Amino acid sequence: MELRAGSQSVKILQDISFEVFTNQVVAIVGPSGSGKSTLLGLLAGLDRPTQGSICIHQTDITTLTETEMAHFRRKHIGYVFQAFHLIPTLTALENVALPLELQGISTGTLRAKTLLQSVGLEHRLHHYPVQLSGGEQQRVALARAFIVRPPLLLADEPTGNLDSSTGALVIDLLWELHQEHGSTLVLVTHDMSLAARAQRILTLRDGAMVNETLPPLLSSGSEA
Amino acid sequence: MIPVSIKLAWREIHSAWSRFLFLFLCIALGVGAIVAVDLFAVNVAQVILGDTRALLGGDVELAWRRAISDKGQKILDSLAHRDIILSHVTEIAAMATVGSPTSQTPLPKIASQLVELKAIDSAYPLYGRLVAEPDLPTAQLLNPLQSDCGRSPCFGALVQESLLIRLNLTVGNELQIGQGNFIITAVLKKEPDRIANGFSLGPRVMISREALKATALIQFGTRVQERYRLSISDSTSLEPLMGELRGRLSQEGAQVSSFRDAQPRLRRFLDQLNLYLGLIGFTILLVGGIGVACTIQGFLTQKIPIIATLKTLGADSSQIIRLYLTQSLILGVIGSLLGVIVGIVLHQGLPLLLQDIIPETMAVNPTVSPILRGLVLGTLATLAFSLWPLLAIRHVSPALVYRQTVDHQQKIANTQSRLTHWRTILKHWWNDRAQVMVSLSMLMSVTGLAMWQAHSPTLGVFFSGACAVSVLLLLGATGILYRVLRHVPIPQRYLLRHAVRNLQRPGNFTKAMTLAIGIGVMLMTTLTIVQRSLLDLIGNQIPSQAPSFFFIDIQPDQYPQFVKVLQQNFPGSPYKLVPVVRSRLTAINGQPIDPEEHKGQRNGWYFTREYVLTASRDLPKDNVLSQGEWWDHTMEADSDGATRIPSDFPLVSVEEDAAKHLGLTLGSTLTLDIQGVPIVAKVGSLRQVDWGSFSINFFMILQPGSFDGAPFTYIATTRVPTTLEVPLQQAIVAVMPNVTAINVGDVLENIGRIFHQLAMGIQALALLCLVTGSIVMIAAISINRYRRLHELAIVKALGASRRLLVFSLGVEFGIIGTFAGLVGLGLGCLLSWSLLYFFFDLTWTFDLILLSTGLLLTILLSLMTGFLATYRLLGFPPLSVLRQE
Repeated sequence: MELRAGSQSVKILQDISFEVFTNQVVAIVGPSGSGKSTLLGLLAGLDRPTQGSICIHQTDITTLTETEMAHFRRKHIGYVFQAFHLIPTLTALENVALPLELQGISTGTLRAKTLLQSVGLEHRLHHYPVQLSGGEQQRVALARAFIVRPPLLLADEPTGNLDSSTGALVIDLLWELHQEHGSTLVLVTHDMSLAARAQRILTLRDGAMVNETLPPLLSSGSEA
Repeated sequence: MIPVSIKLAWREIHSAWSRFLFLFLCIALGVGAIVAVDLFAVNVAQVILGDTRALLGGDVELAWRRAISDKGQKILDSLAHRDIILSHVTEIAAMATVGSPTSQTPLPKIASQLVELKAIDSAYPLYGRLVAEPDLPTAQLLNPLQSDCGRSPCFGALVQESLLIRLNLTVGNELQIGQGNFIITAVLKKEPDRIANGFSLGPRVMISREALKATALIQFGTRVQERYRLSISDSTSLEPLMGELRGRLSQEGAQVSSFRDAQPRLRRFLDQLNLYLGLIGFTILLVGGIGVACTIQGFLTQKIPIIATLKTLGADSSQIIRLYLTQSLILGVIGSLLGVIVGIVLHQGLPLLLQDIIPETMAVNPTVSPILRGLVLGTLATLAFSLWPLLAIRHVSPALVYRQTVDHQQKIANTQSRLTHWRTILKHWWNDRAQVMVSLSMLMSVTGLAMWQAHSPTLGVFFSGACAVSVLLLLGATGILYRVLRHVPIPQRYLLRHAVRNLQRPGNFTKAMTLAIGIGVMLMTTLTIVQRSLLDLIGNQIPSQAPSFFFIDIQPDQYPQFVKVLQQNFPGSPYKLVPVVRSRLTAINGQPIDPEEHKGQRNGWYFTREYVLTASRDLPKDNVLSQGEWWDHTMEADSDGATRIPSDFPLVSVEEDAAKHLGLTLGSTLTLDIQGVPIVAKVGSLRQVDWGSFSINFFMILQPGSFDGAPFTYIATTRVPTTLEVPLQQAIVAVMPNVTAINVGDVLENIGRIFHQLAMGIQALALLCLVTGSIVMIAAISINRYRRLHELAIVKALGASRRLLVFSLGVEFGIIGTFAGLVGLGLGCLLSWSLLYFFFDLTWTFDLILLSTGLLLTILLSLMTGFLATYRLLGFPPLSVLRQE
């Protein structure tokens, strides 16, 4: 993966190859600027690699057009950001229902309500993001990511903007939802205690994969 | 349930409505102008088409420009037996006097005024209602008690208020017209068969038919309008009657018209006026469209994080474009609704600006269809102008959600530079199908809307083509100017450098602002130059030797008396008397002319008009022979003075243009009907006439002796110093009450006034275009106000005083104003030159004072607009701004 700034280009990621299996939880760790977020973005099809390929569910997403990628993403990938990225002009309920509506499903509100209940926000349905605390916002973001029941959930430093107790609550929820929905979970973090809860840990440094820790309870399965 | 996307669209507007304030204004002014003009047009149509019977004065009108022939009278009499009610109205220009016309002093003390006299019978009006004050029965007002008369016998006269003002009279005062004595019995408030006041020679005076006889104004050859109005019963069908009347009366010189074709000229004039006003309104909407595009683009720049987020959630570009189009739709509807309110308010004002041109009975009522049309036009225009900036959504990468370092501004700025640099535009145009489609659909929608606005496909295409060329020229010229600016050495002073650099910064809408103001300046310049040239033509170009008075209807036996009054009282004043007869063209080369065939045709009036003929021994001074020869006058008179026609037919010299339109060449024959007597003349020569010389000129001049025995009168012209104009008019009218005096200055003043009103109406709209341009500028500046605020705070924190910052901003806005002024004035000159050269056949003159004033005003406007948009930013303490970072 290269990024271009004016006439100069910088290699952000190179020689990275790994497979993730269904239902697995994989943590990507590494120092700031090591390319963790970029790697996650590539997996979500938000960026395009300059070389190589990425296969998800037997689809090489690097060959998809922008629109095909968007349609693929809306069905297969959930994304949780460090900065939440809720739409400020929509209420919690509307934010959660939005991905379903983008798919043309009009009954999203009911499912969104159930999901918000499951993240403990049934009393905050009609609040706007600005009226919610950081932890609440991230819980809304979690509900939004899970509403389409994505086979693959990507989380980019989901607790990065939260204090430790709120962060722990969010992580517990993330795990609960992951187990409940059976999604494959890839998360980027620099919190090693969080990474330790994963089944595999990939370590990046200067854009290259330097280490892979395989915890003993690795479950095998088909390619995600 | 409302879809989330619509909620999102609405909430984004709701949460940032102040950001869309200028967008609303841009649309509202354009829609307002269109709605106002449309409402005005509908009201005009309601009057003209609404009660056409009242306007014509009957179901059918038979009009003569002379007294009716015996045969004609017989035909009219025969109609009385067929369940047809007839009303006879006579119109004539006359002099009304107050004082003692019978006094024998050389210059009697009287006041006189040219009036439009109308004699009515008891059946008048057949349709509609005559309104007078006091509101008494018309018969009573026209025939007052003889005991009320100071001078018996007397008749009643209903007069327009302007006559009372001009002659300092009130109801109950006396008045003389011709040989008749009148007492003013009422003020005329509404005449059902009169549509607009502007085009008249003088105030209306309404009298009875008996009174008209008493005035003795109608003599042989007097310029008169005889109108016979017919009211037919429901059982009589109109078309066969019209056919019959045309067949029986056309040869008698009657113009036969029905209520269905009432007021064709006025209708055409007002239609044209509304068309041009409407197109100016549409131009305002297009200028407002630039503001829409800038606002949407600026808004999108701030929405990039949201767009990126939506993309990560799986929204594709077309979904997001649709979402923001929904938003534009809502914005367009709100702006257009505001526009409707603006339109209704403007609509109340427009008739005030054009009060002499519009029908006096016109009501100012808002109607539904123009309002709906305004709403649709405004909304569609908003959508059309939003589409282009919305395409930038496709270039927003979802990766922006995590790669925060990528400069959002840069991203959209790149998109914008793609939109403003012509070479990149062309390149992308070819490479990007969506861009091609959007460009085409924009062009097509503007063309479509223009077609709808102009009610004509050809004019719509022509208008949008002209718009496209103007915009390209404006953009090209602006591009060149800003390119030149780039090559000017960079100023040493930081604040100057900052100002110049700011203009060139991507995302600053500099060219859009220049364009928006430039279009307004172009429109104003064009209108001002054209108006000046036309006013010059009316007023300032009258030759110094031009006559100051025309006297018409001088009877042959009054000739010596007229000359005597002039020579005795105004010695040394040049004068000229010319014999004239009125005639109609009935055949060319023996082929009869059917007036119906030429009605409504372009230049058809050459066939249908009344020709005033004269006979002259010599070629008039200002005329130039272009073909043929002038008659050899030595051959025409015998030694005893009797005239003799040498050829089989008398010769006629025809004005060149008339000959062209009538298809006449040397040797063609014309049959002219002089008060029922046909005479045939052969075209002996063609002449060029300078109509601007204000001398007496004729389309057709006959050989002397050609109309001997015909009922001719004399027209006289004379020139006296301004101070003697009133005494001259009084002296002539006192001795010859039947002679009508027309003051050239008054007539020109009247024409000038109407023209001025027209120009005012059009210019008021053009001014609105300039205002819209300013609002576009404010909108464009406001989009970047946070960036500007931040920069100002830093410069302030570094020690720049407010005075210096004002200077820097002044340079920036001054350059925009200068460029907009130069480009707008330049194109305005080009456009006005084309209009004057191709349409008005006038020469364009370079007016340095006008152009430099225009430039200065544009710079001033730009400075004022710029400071209006930024003055609040200057007041923020720098620390509070920087702390928020």
